[in-house]
Formats: sequence, C-alpha cells, structure tokens
Amino acid sequence: MAFASVRSSTLLGVQGKEVDVEIHVGMGLPGFTIVGQPDEACRESRDRVRAALLSCDLPWPNRRITVNLATSVHERKGGAGLDVAIAIGLLIVQDVLPNEVGERFAFISELGLDGTLRPVAGVVPLVAAIDDRVVVVAQECEREARIAARNEVVCAQTLAHVVKCLMGEAQWTPAQPRGVIGAAPPTADMKDVRGQAVARQALEIAAAGAHHLLLVGPPGAGKSMLAQRMSSILPPLSNEEAVATTIIHSAAQSPLPPSGIITLPPLRAPHHSTSLVAMVGGGSTTMRPGEISLATNGVLFLDELGEFAPTVLDALRQPLEDGVVRLARAKSSVTMPAKFLLVAATNPCPCGEGMPGVCVCDDSAKKRYLRRFSGPLLDRFDLRVAVSRPHVDELLADTPAESSQVIAMRVLRVRQLAMLRSGCLNSALSADLLDEFAPLTTDAAALLRYHLERGRLSGRGYHRIRRVARTIADLLSTSDHSTDQIDESHIATALALRVGVHPQLNGDKL
Amino acid sequence: MNQECLLAAALSAVPRLGTRRLGAMLGVQTPSRAIEMLGCEAPSRTDIELMAAKLAKGSMSVTYIGANDYPQMLLNDVARPAVLFYRGDLQVLQQRRVGIVGTRSATAAGRYMASHLAYDLSEQGVAIVSGLARGVDAWAHKGVLLALDREGVSASESHCGQPIAVVASGLDMTYPKENADLWRFVAENGLLLTESPPGTMPEAFRFPLRNRILAALCELVVVIESHAKGGSMITVEEAQRRDITVMAVPGSPRSLSSAGTNLLLQQGCAPVVDATDVMVALGLDNRRNHPQVFDSRRTPSLQDQALIAHMRGEAVTLDQLLMRASTDLVQTALALGRLESEGWVVNNAGWWEVLGMGCQ
Repeated sequence: MAFASVRSSTLLGVQGKEVDVEIHVGMGLPGFTIVGQPDEACRESRDRVRAALLSCDLPWPNRRITVNLATSVHERKGGAGLDVAIAIGLLIVQDVLPNEVGERFAFISELGLDGTLRPVAGVVPLVAAIDDRVVVVAQECEREARIAARNEVVCAQTLAHVVKCLMGEAQWTPAQPRGVIGAAPPTADMKDVRGQAVARQALEIAAAGAHHLLLVGPPGAGKSMLAQRMSSILPPLSNEEAVATTIIHSAAQSPLPPSGIITLPPLRAPHHSTSLVAMVGGGSTTMRPGEISLATNGVLFLDELGEFAPTVLDALRQPLEDGVVRLARAKSSVTMPAKFLLVAATNPCPCGEGMPGVCVCDDSAKKRYLRRFSGPLLDRFDLRVAVSRPHVDELLADTPAESSQVIAMRVLRVRQLAMLRSGCLNSALSADLLDEFAPLTTDAAALLRYHLERGRLSGRGYHRIRRVARTIADLLSTSDHSTDQIDESHIATALALRVGVHPQLNGDKL
Repeated sequence: MNQECLLAAALSAVPRLGTRRLGAMLGVQTPSRAIEMLGCEAPSRTDIELMAAKLAKGSMSVTYIGANDYPQMLLNDVARPAVLFYRGDLQVLQQRRVGIVGTRSATAAGRYMASHLAYDLSEQGVAIVSGLARGVDAWAHKGVLLALDREGVSASESHCGQPIAVVASGLDMTYPKENADLWRFVAENGLLLTESPPGTMPEAFRFPLRNRILAALCELVVVIESHAKGGSMITVEEAQRRDITVMAVPGSPRSLSSAGTNLLLQQGCAPVVDATDVMVALGLDNRRNHPQVFDSRRTPSLQDQALIAHMRGEAVTLDQLLMRASTDLVQTALALGRLESEGWVVNNAGWWEVLGMGCQ
C-alpha cells in the first residue's frame, strides 16, 4: 500500500476547513516533502512526526514520502494541527493500521517529539468543520472540542495510545465530567458605582437597546469603572450566541472559562496602542480574529478614545454598520462576525477638565483634540454622556447603589419586548420600521424638527435619537407589549443624553 | 503715500533698531534725516521699494512719532511706539474708547457678556478697543459688528461706536485665522492698528508688547473673564501704569476663568454688570436716552426658573443638576430642552451654562 488519505482540518479566520492529508510513500531517495501550500508550522511537522514515531517505537519508512494537503479551494494551510493525521497516514501506508481508519476517523492535534498529543489553537471551529467522522483530539482540549462537534469526539494522550485504541487494544481516555455551566458571575458590579445618576441611566439604556455609548469626562470621574461594568448588566448569551462566541475565542487562542464555553457577554478592552490588524483581525495565513470579533455578543471598550490611531478608529465604522468584518488578502478573504456594543471613554479636552471656567484650553486646542476622532465615528454613538466627578457626599454614602442584577432584569425585559415587537433590538430598527414601531407625537416631532433646523442633528443622528427614545420609552413603560407613541419627554431625554462633543461657539442668540 | 511715512516704515523694519531707539530718533528729527544718521545700518533703496510694495498691496497706512496724525494719547506715553501701521481711519480715536479684554478660553457666559456689553456701548457711541484674539476679544468685536449691522448705515455716518483693534503681528499676517472676517470688518469700519511692520509673524513676545498700546489707547478697560495670570492681566498692569481705570465683571468664585477678574475686584476695581456701569464711569449720563432693553426670550416658567437658579451661575453637568434639583432625568431633560430652545441655557460639550442674568 503506497497511498493513504486521512481527514483533518485547518483554520481560516474563525472557520475550520476540512483537509484531506494524502500520503504517498514510494521508491526514491529517502526524503519527506509536504506540498499543497503549507505554512511554516505545517512544514515543520516533518521533524515532529518523525521524532514522535520513533519515540513511540513505531516504524518510519526510509523511502520517499510525499504529503499533499488537499482542500476544495487552493489556499495556504496553517497550523500544527495536521501532525497526527500525517503520522497516522504514514502508519496506514506501512500497514500498521488498517485502511478504513482513514475513512472513520479525523485527527486534530499537534505532536510533541515524545509522541504526546498537544492541543492546538481553534479546536472548536476545527472540530466543527469535520463531517461524519469520529474526531481524535488531545486530552487537554476535549471539553472545547465537544462544544460545536457534529460527531463523536474521543481523546488520547500519546500517539502510541491512539494507535492502540485504533487497533482495539486499548480504550480512549474517558470523557471528563463537565464543569459547571454559567460560571461565576462577573466580579465588577454596578452597586460599587456611587452617584453618576445620569451615566448609570445611560448605561442601562445602552444595554437595553444595544446603543453605542461615549462617556466624556475628566480623569478620575469613573468613566472606566462604569464601562467595565457594562457587560455585567447585559443578559447572558443564548446557546447559539455562546457557541459562536466560543468559536471566535477558540480561534484566537483566547483563554476560555473552566466550563469551556463562554456564557457571559465578553468584555474586550484593548489598549490604545492596538494596531489595525489586532483590532479588526488579519494576518497572512490564519487570519486571526481581531478585538472587534472577540467582542462579538459583548462589549468593546475603548478607553482614551482620542489616543487610538485614527486609522484604527475609522476601521471600526464599517463593522459598526454591518455587524461583520470582511477581510481580504492576496491569497484569502474571510468574513468574521463583529457585532459588538461599543463603549468608549475620552477626556473632553487636552487638560482633561472640560468644565467651562475650569478648563484652560482655548477653543482651537479643544478642536485639535476632538479632531482625532472623525465626525462619522462620533455620529455612530447613540449616547454621548458627560460624566463629572461624583460629589463627596455620594462617594462617602454607605447605601449601596442598585446592583447589576436588578438592572440586568430591566434590560432583559426591554430586550425581550423589542424582540417580540420588531424581531430586532431597538438600535437595529431601520428607518421604515421606526415609523411603524416608534411613532412620534406632534410635540416630539416638533422638538426634533427644531434641532434638525438648527443643524444640531444630522440625518443619521435623527434616526439614532428616535431609536434611543424608543428604548427610553420601553424602559419607562410598564406594559408588556408596548407600541405606544414616543412623546416629547422621551425625545428630550434622548437629546440630553447625546450632547455635542464639540464646544459650541454660537451658543447665544447674538 | 507720503515719502517720510514710507521711510519711517522702512526704518521700523531695520533689525536691531528697537522701538525705543527709533522713537528717540524720530522724536527729534524727520525719518529722512534719521536714515542719513544711521549710515550703514540704514535701509537700502531696495528695502524701501519693497516696503512700499508691501504697504500698497495690503493698503496699509503709516504714521510715526513726528507725524501730524500720530495719535495724541500715545505721544506722551511711557513706551510709545515709534511707527504705527494701520488700516482704517485714525479719526476713530476721537470717539470715547473702552477696552474690552479677556481670556481666550472664555465660558459661554463670558462670551455672552463680552458681545452684549460691546453691543450696548457701541450703541451709545463708545468705540470698542480690543485685541482680536480668540475668546473674549473676538466676541467683543462681534457685538460691535451686530450694533453697526442693526444701524444699517455705513460706519462713518453711523452714530455707533466703531471697532478699534490692536494686533501683534503684521497687518498682512492674520492671526488667528478664524478671525479673518472680523479682522476685515474692523479695518473697513474702524481702525486696525499694529506697530509691527508687514510680514511680522505673531510671535509670543509680541502680544504683551501689543497690550501696552491697547491699554494706552483706552480711556477705560473692562476685563470680562481672566485667569489669575495671562494676557489680560498684562493689559491691566499696563493700564494701571498709565492711570487708566480698570473695571472687571464679577464671576463665580469657583470658576478659574473668573479668578483674575475676581482678584481685581478684591483689589478695589469697580465691578461691571452692564453697560450703564461703564457709561457712568466714563462720565456719560445715559439715563435719559436709556436704550429700550428688549430680550426676545420668553420668560421661563417658575419651575424652569428654579432649575436655572440651581445652576448657580456656573457650568454644571446634567448629573450635578439632577442632584441639586432632586428631579428625575426625564423632567430635567424636558426643562433643559425648553430653556435651550428659548436661548436661556446652552450646552457646551456636556456642560450646561446660563446665558444672561435676566431671570436670576
């Protein structure tokens, strides 16, 4: 037998792709070549596979070995997850294992030089890609592997163990009991936030309607503290969301909770020195998901928004609209989910104070500072709230504020209300749906008209205000099926929570 | 242009010939004689031709210490400028003159005060002297602009006070750029003045020097808002050296933008609340022709007035307002919306400020 084919998979973006590892052993000078556009890690598997086979006292064919990585499309294959498949293929070729092993099993694991099976990045999507075959993985990633598996998953410790199990001489390592699902609740709780009545409400509205939120305020006002608590008031993820989120995190090699599946909305807070590729995702072969994909179904928190590179911030604009990010490189293009709630914090001006009368920056310095975030990005924040330092009395008060749990209940109620009414969250209402689900009273329309006429609202801003007003109305309403009208008070509140960031110079009527 | 004026202009552009030395020379002899005396330092013929071209291009006029039209109030000044470049009409200096100065980072209330005070004074025929900087300076001249606009006749026929600006850079180097329109307005309707020859950049050290001329041209200086240190306080010092009355607008003791003005009041400056204070200080009795105060804003309801009272005349965030007024977000937002649409309050990047003291 000179030929064998064994199934495995490789990762591109957040998706696994099935790969047939074809092995041919024939006459010629002893040698080992891998073809089919392998990347560096793939090519190195020659040495790992040989060492592992010899360490496990398994035979190594001293002939010409050719490995081909065959997929339906021609693209570069990355990662070390093909090691075991290559090793098993070599054993089939040498008749150590029967031919049908290749038809019944798929192998996703890296090999150590001593023959141990090592976990690989992105086990969840890799296993999810395998159809109608039993998947063999390393023991360490067994839990992860089961999350999105379509077939049976088994695990082993060493290559020798795998071979014995395949020949029926040993048992696969038994599955470990599953950890508790819905692990520990988030540690940061809203009850630690003193004062900040307006910012708290803004956070609640943002969570309830999935509206993007910008916090503007001096240093020490509590912007970061508030933002870090955003994920604690979001409802837990649904099953599909949990699996989708776990797949992304697995593909990015981001640590998973002990239970193996992410059930709480993730909070990503990348530092402002984050590069464009780290933010939106990319890379030459594997197309690793970026921070925006990792924040899917959760919160992306950008502290010190003005310090981010302008290109990085502008790259957020398209994902913010579409909920996905489409990346194209010369050899591959992928679409990755990027449906996140954006929370950003910034100082109002270079000196950080912002309060008229205390701030020492002149108007041009403020303008220069605010020019760092482009208008189109600012316009995408539905809620823009000024946060001031809490009053001493509030800081020292011993009565704890409302806890995240209570707020999360209200958030959940509004989210369910919105899903029942329109099938989407309030921030996703399109312009025509707005007329249907968020009709305006005459007073409310007049107020909006006033602001539009004075140029304080753009067309986009107009719709955003209406969506926020819908959420505010939902939060205030007590009935369970509210399609009531949006009145002036809702619009006024939405407007008060969306302040202009730029200093207003023509404030008075002169 | 007068040949002597041209020579004086060329002399002012000679490097290392300071205004004091040049002033001493021009005080006793004509510019042509001064050039002869300078010898090798003297501007060449090309320099003089170049200066003539620049002056013609910028339609600038020149006066110098010995000239007939040199402003009288500068002639006896301790640090009189030797040569002045100007656009507009020197006759404007015959009007009563009040300086309005203040910080570049003014609050909305400060801007409001500057423009309203300048408007009211201009209507009473008082010329407004300022420095055309950002903030208070610019808003003072915007007030004059509006007063002249309302009058509807050309500046020379109008009985309104005209704008006078003393700037630090050359007249062809507009700074700051955003005030270019105001710059042109002042030149066309009043007097735009500098001691710097054309082409001079707005270097930092020129602004304090400019302030001495500004102060010397005023009969009275009003400081709208000022930090404890800054350009306006230099103008104040220069004014006090010359025995020129300084008045200040009181502000919240918690506002740093009013720290300088409050300090002046503490030291005994007279306070300014409206134009009448200034008119009285100038010795102009305007009680008989008191302008009809017309505020187009509708008087707020009692409830809204209470909200304004809670702002205590300083900039507050929505958060602070909620706590002071102990109302809920929705009611406060509604009230602020009403007040904003009537022009009683303004939102400045998240902070709410009251405009005009009318209903407090």
